[in-house]
This record gives sequence, structure tokens and C-alpha cells, in this order.
Amino acid sequence: MTDTGKIFFMGPGWKHFRKNKPASISMYILFFLALIALLAPVIANDKPLFAKQNGEIFFPAFSFSEVIELKNSETRQNEILQSSQVNWKQLKLEKVWWAPIAYSAGKSDPLHPDYSSPSVKGHLLGTTKNGADVLSGLIHGTRISMSIGILAMLIASLIGIILGSMAGYFGDEHVRASRGSLLMTVIGILPAYFYGFHIRSNQFSNMLMNPGVGIFLQLILSVFIFTLILFIFYKTGKLLNGIAFFSKKIFVKIDSLVSRTIEVFISIPRLILIISIAAIARPSFINIILIIGFTSWTEIARFIRAELLRARNSDYIESARAIGLTDFRIILKHALPNALAPATVAIVFGIASAILIESGLSFLGIGVPPDVTTWGSLLFAGKENFEAWWLVLFPGLFIFITVTAFNLVGDGLRDAMDVKGRG
Amino acid sequence: MRRYILRRILLFIPTFIVITLLSFIILVNAPGDPVERMMTAAQSSGDISTQSIVQQEQRIYWSHRLGLDLPVFYFSVHSIAEPDTLYRIADKQERIVLSKLVKEYGAWKEIQTYYSKLKALKQLLADESRIEFMTTTEFKSGPVRVLLQEMESEVNLLKNETLITKINTRINKINELSAELQHHKESCSSLTPSITALKKSAEEITSNQCRWKNYIPAISFHPNNQYHRWLFGDGMLSKGILHFDFGISYLTKQPVSTVIAGKIGWSLFFTLISVLLAYIISIPLAIKAAAKKNSGFDRTSSLILFMLYSLPTFWVATLLLMTFSNTDVLNIFPASGIKPVTGYPVDANLFEKIKLSLPYLILPTICYTYSSLAFLSRTLRVSMLEILSQDFIRTARAKGLPEKTVLWKHALKNSLLPVITVFANVFPFMIGGSVILESIFTIPGMGSTIYSSIDAQDYPMIVAVFTLTGILTMLGYLLSDVLYAIVDPRISFSKINNS
Repeated sequence: MTDTGKIFFMGPGWKHFRKNKPASISMYILFFLALIALLAPVIANDKPLFAKQNGEIFFPAFSFSEVIELKNSETRQNEILQSSQVNWKQLKLEKVWWAPIAYSAGKSDPLHPDYSSPSVKGHLLGTTKNGADVLSGLIHGTRISMSIGILAMLIASLIGIILGSMAGYFGDEHVRASRGSLLMTVIGILPAYFYGFHIRSNQFSNMLMNPGVGIFLQLILSVFIFTLILFIFYKTGKLLNGIAFFSKKIFVKIDSLVSRTIEVFISIPRLILIISIAAIARPSFINIILIIGFTSWTEIARFIRAELLRARNSDYIESARAIGLTDFRIILKHALPNALAPATVAIVFGIASAILIESGLSFLGIGVPPDVTTWGSLLFAGKENFEAWWLVLFPGLFIFITVTAFNLVGDGLRDAMDVKGRG
Repeated sequence: MRRYILRRILLFIPTFIVITLLSFIILVNAPGDPVERMMTAAQSSGDISTQSIVQQEQRIYWSHRLGLDLPVFYFSVHSIAEPDTLYRIADKQERIVLSKLVKEYGAWKEIQTYYSKLKALKQLLADESRIEFMTTTEFKSGPVRVLLQEMESEVNLLKNETLITKINTRINKINELSAELQHHKESCSSLTPSITALKKSAEEITSNQCRWKNYIPAISFHPNNQYHRWLFGDGMLSKGILHFDFGISYLTKQPVSTVIAGKIGWSLFFTLISVLLAYIISIPLAIKAAAKKNSGFDRTSSLILFMLYSLPTFWVATLLLMTFSNTDVLNIFPASGIKPVTGYPVDANLFEKIKLSLPYLILPTICYTYSSLAFLSRTLRVSMLEILSQDFIRTARAKGLPEKTVLWKHALKNSLLPVITVFANVFPFMIGGSVILESIFTIPGMGSTIYSSIDAQDYPMIVAVFTLTGILTMLGYLLSDVLYAIVDPRISFSKINNS
């Protein structure tokens, strides 16, 4: 049977997982890739990590300021340099430490402004048409792919866990509400939408013009207003309890509602939806993350629901109820931790497919900012010229290795936990 | 069981509504003005004023023809400051600006006056510069022309401003320009009254603003609306998507359904042939793997299939093209298309056509097949393993039946069940995945259609492909669920009890 959450990483399931050679090797590969993603600006950067000039010390790679003041060693005069414009390699510096790969992603190397094959010195994996270093592009692409995969699945997990645990724990016959409250809640949707979204639409359209974190905050605020108003309407529904018809309590079929929603969402062709939305929205990674996140929560919700459905009738949940813990606390502290381990299987598979989608979109050039180097965009550049085989081989290998590693880890976890899932 | 199937079919309705709603939202929010796209680029000759009248008429005609003069949905939630007749404005940009203004300041009447004044000024300026261009030569009136052009561009910018502070600065700028203009040319003083009027009306927006009106919700209902028309048609100009009328393509100006009907064949061809191939290869593979669980064959084949599953199709496709249709390496297969560039010979029969097309089909078919192959054999192996551990297999073996009969007859028959559902999973995936493959191999199917539509911003086409794929996906699930229930009646009961 299923190993349970916290125990899993110490128990027999974990041992089982560690014995699975491909899976545990993949685990190390993923740690390595995550490390590359985190350290990308330090590993591959055309600015020096450390430079010393006339006793002054600079850290150009870590500095956010655009302007750097340098004393010219010959003229003895201060020169103001644009940090992103200047070619650091031509500056005469007393002491300098370069990043292991001294090229930034997407920036052309003036020494090799054309395709160079991996045999060219300095460019381990060759360069693109414009002389941008491929290895550096791959390293920065790792950062983009990993963060898109993880962030998208973070959103998906949040939705999936909330909906799945509500469906599984409450089922169809646990939550009762009076007809009055339900009626008022349904009526409340309109004013809630009005105050949450409609009157704030000017703010939204302003935010959409310059994508960033702002849109997230606006969205959260809107959702908060929305729920608050719904809650107020729900509470005022109690006032109707004086009327016999409205005071009758009926079951809220949460499980049915969530299950139907899942079935509806499964039928939405995800890739085509993403392509369609990407076609109308301004190209940005945040859009891709949001779309993938909002469409791939179903599998996670199904896992969580199944686990909680089983846990609901177990002894420890019964006893937690008996001592009067609130439902919220029971779900969060007792039921969910056990269900999370199986859900990680779906999450890990989800990251793999999110990365595949992202690289596919970059390959097509749909929905991603055109000036950012990703695995997919490098691969696309390779399709233009088959002589530049390194542009096809290496990005593809990166995608393949990453996706395989995630899939193998997911598969290993599934075997170890004996979770039944599709595919 | 009948009840289950009925319920399952009923579920089709909300799913259908959600998918059409999603498509409709995409369509409505698509950037650009559909009316603008449909209006013929070739303008009739003649002077500008009659041209703009023709344009206005065309705009109204197309906005009626496309149903854009209707409200968007069955009901709309708005504040009491906003009128519920905003949709009647034919120009999309104007509509957006007016709605933003009213959401900010709440004084609808003043905003309306302001905007009509603005449009009047624009017309006046256009007339003025027309006269200017017709009566004088460039040499004679350099600064006047420049000033007029500057004013016109200011007015055009003003048309998109939604903040009163920015509006005021622009009006002041226009005012200055007009003063300078009068300095050069006396007759331009006719512009001054309308600029003052504009300025006054802009001031009135702030002086009469009632923002509180924006915080009081109102709801209005529109039985006849764009969504309804898009779905069911209006009986005259549009038949609605229920009758496969997806509107007119911006790109080809043909009905979208005609374009799709010409393209869907190749997509279906590749999908079906690769599913068939995948089944033919994966069934023996899975049986062999399951029969000797944890044997060397099982392990290696699982690992290889797993890696196949993780291989990105666009990479494989590019690698294949790079190796097999590259003049420097191996030039075996043609790189793109599905038939010779020169087309088929006139007298070619079907067999000859297939023979000519075959080299074009091999590489795409490999790409289409391998990923679903991996998915299928993995699923099949798991279900075979489950079946093989059951009692009736043990009985069959104990009875002394040869292993082959046990595997191929008893076990396979039962383990094929989940494979039915797999079809529903594979089918939409392939249509979606085909966007990438079709554009790499330049196959004239649905996928490459959507790709080129995105380049051309042909939204009716994009939305049509999305809706159709959604419906096909739904049908796939419906079919597989119903089949599943027919083959194994236990399913329907357990599903009913669980949900």
C-alpha cells in the first residue's frame, strides 16, 4: 500500500527508490541542472566576476548599476563606462577573474561573428549565426526551462491540492448549507465579479502593458475581494433562515462539482489552447507559466482526491474529528501530508511536460520573447542551417536529458510508492 | 449502464459550453479590429472626404456583417455610469477608449460630448490640410504643412488618451500649435473655436465627474448577442459554429470551414496511420515484456521506450531531416511537402500517387509514431502485468494451456481495455503535437494551418482549430468511456457509485 508522506523519505519506499538505478541517477542529474540554473549568471557571463583596477575592486557580474567608473591606466583619467555596452575583454585591467564561460547568452562574440563549430577555441559547443556562444545559451536556457517547469507546476499544485483535497475530504455528503445561503452566494457572484474584476479592469490593462510581478499582485487582490464579497453574501444568506423554504439544509456536492470540472478541463486541448492564447497575448514567459499552470492541475487534483477519499474513513481522521479539530486543520495537518507524496509523482511528470511545452513553443517561436535564448530557440536556429549540427544536437540533448530525468524520477517515485496512475 | 452512458453524454454539454466559451473569449480579446481586417485595403480613388465616408459605410457594413454591432454576451455586468449601449460604437479603438474613460470619471454624457468634439476637430483638420495640399506647393508653405501634420498626429494620439491630465497637456499642445499656425496662415483661425470647445468639454469631464457611479453595479440582458450568433447563427449572415460556420478567414477571405475541410485530411491521415502502426508494434512488445517481468528484455525495452517517450518530437524530426534529407550526409528523403513539387502526373491513379508520395511520408510517420508507441506499450505492459497476476490466468495455466494461448488469448483480450482509453489520450495529443511536426515537414494539415494563422494573426482560423480540436478531444473521451463501459459493465457501476 501507499507509503505515507513524511515517512516516505525515510521508509522502505525511499530505499526502494534509491535501489532504482536510473531514477536515482536522474535525481543527481536534476540536482546538477538545478545548480546550473541557480548559478547561471556566475557560470556564463561576459562580464568579469571580479576586476581590480588602480586599487579599486569591482564585481561587474554582480553589479546592477548600469554605469561603472574606471580609471584608465594610461591616461590616468576617470572613464564612465556603460556596463552592458562595454567589451570587458578589451579593457586593460590589473587583475581580472572571468566566469568559467566568459560569454553571455545571446550576445555575439566580436572575434567570431559567424557560425563557429565546437572546434573553435573558447566556444566549447560552437556559436550561432551571430556568434553567440551556444554553451552559455544552454546554461541560461536551463534557468528558463527549469523555472518555467517549476513555477507552472507550483500554480498547478496549488489549484490541484486545494480542489482535490476539498473534493476528497468533503465528498458529496459532508458539507451542508441552507438554501438561503447558497442562493445568496450564487447571487453574490455578480457583485463579487463587479468589485473584484470589473471596476479594476483599468488597472489590469495598465499592468498587461508592462508584464511583471504587478499583474500577480493585482490578480491576488482581485481574487481576495471576490472571495470576501462571496463570503459576505453567504453570511447574509443566513438572514433568510426565517423563511422555512430557505432554512432547509441541503448537501453541497463538492466532490461532484470538482470531478465534473476536472473532466471538463481534461477535454481542453492544452497545446492548442496555449498556442491560441500565446497568439493573442504579448509574448512573455509569465503568460506561458500561467497558462500551463491553470491547465495542468487536473492530474494532481485526481491524485489528492483519491488519497483523501481513502483517508477520510481511516481511523486517524475519525479520531481527529472526534477530538473536535476543525476540518481545515485536519486537512492541512493530518490528511494532506499523507496525500502529498503520491501527488509528487504527478507534479514531477508535470514539470517534464511543461518543459517540453516550453521548448516546443520556443522552437516554434510562439508566445516567447524573441530576444531571449532558450533551448528551443537555439534548436530552431539550427534548423536554418544543417551544417551547424551543434545547434541541433546540444540543445536537443539538454531537453532530452532534462525531460528524461524528470520522467525517470517520476516513474521511480511511482514504483516506490505503488501509486496507480495513467501512462 | 444505459444510465451511465446517458450521464456521460450529458456531461458533453457543459464541456462543450466551456470550450466554446474559451474560444469565444480568445476571439473577442484578440488584438486588432476585425472590421479593419475585413475592410478591403484597395481604397477607391477620389478625394479624402468621400473616401472617409466610404470607409465609414464599409465599417458599418462589416461590423454588421460580422455581428460585431451586437452586445458580447447574454448579460453584462457594468456600473451605472457605463451605458449598456457601448457596443453600438463600430470602431473598436474608440469603444475601448470611451469605456476606459467612463470607468475612470463616470460622466458618460460629458465624455460623449468630448469625444464627438474631438472627432469634429479631426475632420476639420483633415479638411484644412486637404485644402492646403491642393492649393499650395510644398515650396511655398513649408511650416504650415509641418504644423498641420503635427496637429493631426497630436489629435490621433489624443484619441487614445484615457487620463484627463494627459488629455489636457495634449490639448494645450494643440492649442499652441494652432496659435503658431495662425501666425503663418490667417485663414486657419477657423480651428480655434473647435479647439476651445474641445478644451471646455474636456474640463467638464472632471468638473462633472461622478466616480461614485462607478461603484454601483448594474446588470443588463441581451438575448441577441455575439456569442449566441457565433454559436447558433442568425439565420442570414452566419450559420453558427454548430453548423460548422466559423466565419471568414482574415487571410484568405474564404470561409474558415472551407479552408479546414481542405486541410484536415492530412492531419487525420497521419494520426490514424501512426496510431495503427503504434498498436501493431506495441502489442507484441508489451506482451513479451510482461511475460518475462524484470527480465533483461523487459528492463531494457522499458528503459528504451521510456527514453523514446521523453524525446522531444521536434528534435527527432530535425535530426532525421539533418541526417536523411541533407545533401551533405544522406540525401534519401525529400525535406518538405507531401508530394513532388511539380505535382502528380495528370494521368496518375491512386496507386501511383501513393508511390510518388511515399518518400515524403516516411520521416513524418516515424515522428508521429514513436512517441505514441512508447506511451502505448508502457500502458499495455502495466495492464498486462495486472491481468497476469489474476486468478483466471493461473487457472488457465494450471489447466495446461500453452503459454502462448494464455498470453495472446486470455490475457491480451482483457488487458486491451485500458488501451481503448489510451486512444482517447493519444488522439488529441497527436492533433496538438502536429502543430510542430507539420510545420517542420511542411505538411498542409491543421497544425501548419494554425501556425501560419498565428503569423498572419488570422484569429477566426486559430479559434476554429481550437474549437474543433476541443470537440474532437471530447468525442474521443466520450467514445472511449462508452466503449469501456460496454466492454466492462463493472466500470459504469463503480463510477456511478464513486461520483
